[in-house]
Amino acid sequence: MNIVTITTFLPLVGAVLLLLHSLFWSSHESSKERLDKHYRWITLIFTLLTFFASLLIVAGFDRSQAGPQLVERTPWITALGVSYFVGVDGISLWLVLLTTFLMPISILASWHIEKRVREYMLFMLVLETGMIGVFVSFDMFLFYIFFEITLIPMYFLIGVWGYDRRIYAAIKFFLYTVVGSLLMLIAIIAVYIYNGGNSFDIIEITNNIATGKTIIPDDIKFWLWLAFAFAFFIKVPLFPLHTWLPDAHVEAPTAGSIILAGILLKLGTYGLMRFNLQFFPDVSLQVAPYVMILAVISIIYGALVAMVQPDMKKLVAYSSVSHLGFVVMGIFAFTELSMQGALYQMLNHGISSGALFLCVGLLSDRRHTREISEYGGIATPMPQYSTMFTIIALSSLGLPLLNGFIGEFLILIGTFSSVVPHAKLFAVVGATGVILSSVYLLWMLQRVIFGEISKKENAGLADMDLREKFALVPMVVIAIFMGIAPMLFLRETEKSVNNVRQIVETKIQRAAK
Amino acid sequence: MQLENLNLNYWAIAPEIITSLVGVLIMLVDAFSKRGARKPNAIISLIGLVLALISVVMLWNVGSGSFFGKMVVIDPIRIFFSITILIVSIIAVLLAEQFLRDEGLPPGEFFALIMFGTTGMLLLAAAGDLVMVFLGLEISSITTYVMAGYRRYDLRSNESSLKYFLLGSFSTAFLLYGMALVYGATKTTNIEGIRKAIETGQITYPALLLIGVAMMLVGFGFKIASAPFHLWTPDVYEGAPTIVTGFMSTAPKAAVFAAFLRVFVGGFDVPVAGIGLQLHETWISVLAAISIVTMTIGNVIAISQKNIKRMLAYSSIAHAGYVLVGFVTGDYAPVAFYMLVYSLMTIGAFAVIQLLARAGDQRTEIADYAGIGFEVPQLSFPLAIFLLSLAGIPPMAGFIGKFYVFKTAWDSGLVMRYLVVAAIINSIISVYYYLYPIVVMFFRPLAPGFVKPRVSGAAAFALILAVFGTLYLGILPNRLLNAMGRGMGGQQAQVRVINR
Repeated sequence: MNIVTITTFLPLVGAVLLLLHSLFWSSHESSKERLDKHYRWITLIFTLLTFFASLLIVAGFDRSQAGPQLVERTPWITALGVSYFVGVDGISLWLVLLTTFLMPISILASWHIEKRVREYMLFMLVLETGMIGVFVSFDMFLFYIFFEITLIPMYFLIGVWGYDRRIYAAIKFFLYTVVGSLLMLIAIIAVYIYNGGNSFDIIEITNNIATGKTIIPDDIKFWLWLAFAFAFFIKVPLFPLHTWLPDAHVEAPTAGSIILAGILLKLGTYGLMRFNLQFFPDVSLQVAPYVMILAVISIIYGALVAMVQPDMKKLVAYSSVSHLGFVVMGIFAFTELSMQGALYQMLNHGISSGALFLCVGLLSDRRHTREISEYGGIATPMPQYSTMFTIIALSSLGLPLLNGFIGEFLILIGTFSSVVPHAKLFAVVGATGVILSSVYLLWMLQRVIFGEISKKENAGLADMDLREKFALVPMVVIAIFMGIAPMLFLRETEKSVNNVRQIVETKIQRAAK
Repeated sequence: MQLENLNLNYWAIAPEIITSLVGVLIMLVDAFSKRGARKPNAIISLIGLVLALISVVMLWNVGSGSFFGKMVVIDPIRIFFSITILIVSIIAVLLAEQFLRDEGLPPGEFFALIMFGTTGMLLLAAAGDLVMVFLGLEISSITTYVMAGYRRYDLRSNESSLKYFLLGSFSTAFLLYGMALVYGATKTTNIEGIRKAIETGQITYPALLLIGVAMMLVGFGFKIASAPFHLWTPDVYEGAPTIVTGFMSTAPKAAVFAAFLRVFVGGFDVPVAGIGLQLHETWISVLAAISIVTMTIGNVIAISQKNIKRMLAYSSIAHAGYVLVGFVTGDYAPVAFYMLVYSLMTIGAFAVIQLLARAGDQRTEIADYAGIGFEVPQLSFPLAIFLLSLAGIPPMAGFIGKFYVFKTAWDSGLVMRYLVVAAIINSIISVYYYLYPIVVMFFRPLAPGFVKPRVSGAAAFALILAVFGTLYLGILPNRLLNAMGRGMGGQQAQVRVINR
């Protein structure tokens, strides 16, 4: 069996097992605590198995190829021309790994959840299948289905296990995403019909458009680009479509925030690379300056709003808006460095902001508050935690030798040398976002970790226990590793990223003539 | 007419024979058994319906053609719509047993009514002649009027029945008058004959034909509850016993759509120069407009509903609008597939509502559902699946249905694309109100006075059937879609794709 398929559906197998377990075991004389323990362990084991399976994908990956590898392809709905077509290429490889890496950590981060453990774990496993599925689909129809599947579990995770304003946040999250994805559905149907109406194969459609075999009229092209972009900009989220994000991130349980920030936001930037750039390179080129303006606004606006947040979780949430702005800027600069940097920054952001949410979660589990003013001098009772938190914050603000630096640096250099009009200006203005991010993150560190213990409740806080170490330490290690050895990651993605870039490049050259 | 020309083939009406005989049998069993004794009515009807289902599938082997003096036809439209009708009837019968016992209503007639109603619907789906259309429609309508008022001591049920009866007969009169005028114009009531008459231009008075078609459009519009003929729906659906609402919002609608397809696409849609083209352009554009208005009204009003039955009533209006998008393309397959999917998820949702509402439909406000999500997961999760499917979220069948309809419409010309865009915008609106019961069920604290409902084995089986169908057609629709596609091949003459 194909390893990509196994990785994708292993979590779903876990979900089915969990369900069967609950059906046949709950009749036995066992307490709720014991059952819950079973559910947690089943889920953890399956997410770990999925992680190991995804390592096999990396092992089998051939970096000299640009197209999808390890593919499995069978007809699925022949009447509509839909096929089950999965595989990985350089763009999706690390995103799959990021997903499988963050999932066990999210399960560990939600170990203490007592409410409806069975359903919680079920939704987590279904969510993982959905997320991996989005990254490995090379069929638009399949992509859309997985894209939507991620929606339902997340909606429940926020709505049932979230904080006070969870209902509002859950509905807002759902509606925003559905609006985007239904608009994308129109575009998918349209592209499919223009391509002859017999295949949803992304690679085939890309080639047909590039070679001129499939011609989409110019006036319609822009609207289709916009329909795709709308869906992905909401997901990213790009200013001014970001308003769902602070609510969803803040109200979601810790694991939900880790997954939202770490993976679900990347569906947007991944989709931009996969669809907007490949299907509509000329439109992407034309609108690039405007997209960059939005990206720069996101960078600055996100950072400024993050700076004034009294709530740690909100601060991290707004920092995502800022960091994802960098990614979008890098994608729409169309240089190799910027696009590689954008891809790398997606991974960095997944690690750093996932870890930041975890850190905030650990504190608020102990004190049941996320207000920055409630803390101060945490370093004294919790030295190990404080060290980890500091390293992660530094990686997020882009300190050299940590992962965030590489991504932002590549994006900024790449953007500076881009042919997109006014790209230099955007790069310079965007660079201030790096400074602003150190301001809000260091300021938060200073107020939370350092100084005197301002509240006496904080004096007796326990440092991390074994479970929390298992969750946090791998992320810190990876963050350092990615900062020291970026080439290990970037060389795998190079071919595929260049492939996408060249599609746009040919349009740039044609425009220059 | 010579007898041998009539083409009497009793296999061609085997499903209808079975269902009507079983209906009679149930009444006899009821009459001759002891008072108060438990009667095997449900089992008899189930056996009858399954036999009918088998005989419908076997019609495939009889081959397409028309029988009994072209009164009855066999074609893919009939087969697929009949399957839909019979599946819905089976689910309704499975649910009826518990409903009748909980309410203490006489069990005999109800099953007989379902069987006779099913007969009427099957005839409607099989009709090759306007007379047959009328007969089938009357049989199915009259039984549903009675079923709507089945809870005879309940005022709301009576009101529902009366309203349904009055407005229903009104619309039937429109339809009949239209048929008469069409007959006057074409000198035939046979649908194929009408088509030939239009093709060859043998129309006595063209104006007569146009008026007749318009009146028939009104009549059909009433029956499928499309705007502006939808006003009866919410009251009737709310007042009728929930199981009846579920039944009559699905099976008769599917049957009417089958007849509607055969009459309009098969009979009137002849885009040859002259009256044919005029007719073609008129009814297509009128239906396109009706489609947009219907889905918009349905979705927008559904948002403000507090009662889940009313909400689903408006939702069913909206879905009639979506189906019409497929309808105007002139392709029967998307319509048939959508009606099957719609029927499964709608009767499934009504089944859950029925079980949660308990005797007398006490708890049908959405607010009554607060917090039941994890209390009765065996009911709340199916309801969530049905609602998400109605909203068109994959991997549920509703998504494939919508996709198939929209894809066909997008493929069939530029004007249709506006319809698709309108339908997508409507889908976005609809997500809001479909989510609302889910929010209430899962995210709110439990409302006081909640008693865990009893779910009989038969009802559970019905629910499993509907959930399985909704997921199966959402994940593996390939076989059915291919069968429909194959069916199209031989039927190009009768049901053609719109000319691009």
